[in-house]
Amino acid sequence: MARMNKTEAVAAVLAATTTEPIVCTTGYACRIARHLDDRPSHFYMTGSMGLASSIGIGIARETGRTTVVVDGDGSLLMNPVGLVTAGALPALPLAHIVLDDGRYASTGGQAVPSRRADLGAWALACGYARADETDDAAQFADLVRAAVARCTAPVLVVARLTAADPPVPGRVEGDLAEHARRFGRHLARNG
Amino acid sequence: MTTATVRTPLAERLAADLGTDFGPFFGTPCGILAPLYRTLEEQADLLTVAREDNAVGVAAGAALAGRAPVVLMQNSGLAQSVNALASLVVPYAIPMLLVVSLRGVDPDPTPENTVMGRLTEPLLDGLGIESTTLSDPVDLDRARHLVHVERRAAALLVPPTAFGWRA
Repeated sequence: MARMNKTEAVAAVLAATTTEPIVCTTGYACRIARHLDDRPSHFYMTGSMGLASSIGIGIARETGRTTVVVDGDGSLLMNPVGLVTAGALPALPLAHIVLDDGRYASTGGQAVPSRRADLGAWALACGYARADETDDAAQFADLVRAAVARCTAPVLVVARLTAADPPVPGRVEGDLAEHARRFGRHLARNG
Repeated sequence: MTTATVRTPLAERLAADLGTDFGPFFGTPCGILAPLYRTLEEQADLLTVAREDNAVGVAAGAALAGRAPVVLMQNSGLAQSVNALASLVVPYAIPMLLVVSLRGVDPDPTPENTVMGRLTEPLLDGLGIESTTLSDPVDLDRARHLVHVERRAAALLVPPTAFGWRA
């Protein structure tokens, strides 16, 4: 058993993917993913907290391709309608990853009020085909690899993060419209 | 009990016009838009999303994949969507057409909608989203230009009586 931090969890998602679109939620997930490997398949959602899964749903539904969402526990809680929407689409190839550190990491580490909420149970109750949760790095890597490799329905994988992170990389900078166009060109090439 | 929805010629013409080069369609139902909603449900790819800002998010995903999506919503849902528009759709220049009903505008006297009725156009102006009001005959030239040529968001406002809604 090896505990993991957010950086290791994002690295596991990147290791499990090649050209699949990845929508990263606001806050540190974007910054870490961009720092590890700034692929054109990444969409960095720097605002609109709570909507990462909704964007992923739109992409997966339109392209029919496996689409990965890197969500957080705070951002999932901010707008759980994404779970309901994806769960209503049983053939949607959505690999919904939740990095659950129990904290609003980028706003000062305040506790997320989800200690008694079971996010995996929510997803299943909404219609997701599968929901797994682990705090072990190797098991998380296996779960993400399996979720991405055979994605024929919405699935949830929750990484419980219990190890400390290295210093967080800098903010996503640059023209967001150009970022969207880069991502759009990637989807057009790999649709 | 459900309320029966009538079809109206204007709603059918708008749906047909939209269907030529917009889509997919997303929405959260609204009484004023009900005839249009019904026609689109029958004739197009319309996905109901439980909350308007999520509909905007799903539409953003479709737009990033190259489409020109439409989101149907009541103006109360526009209020719900302000952050999605301000922090996602506008700064990322994601094209979509918002079809927004005007609750709280004459002859809708309901006080719970009056404030949003007053705020709808200034809110869109403040967001930098150009809006036009539905006319008869339907004229989507400006909305088309904004979404298809300039690749940005636009709004089409639908007054309460456009499809026969009554207070």
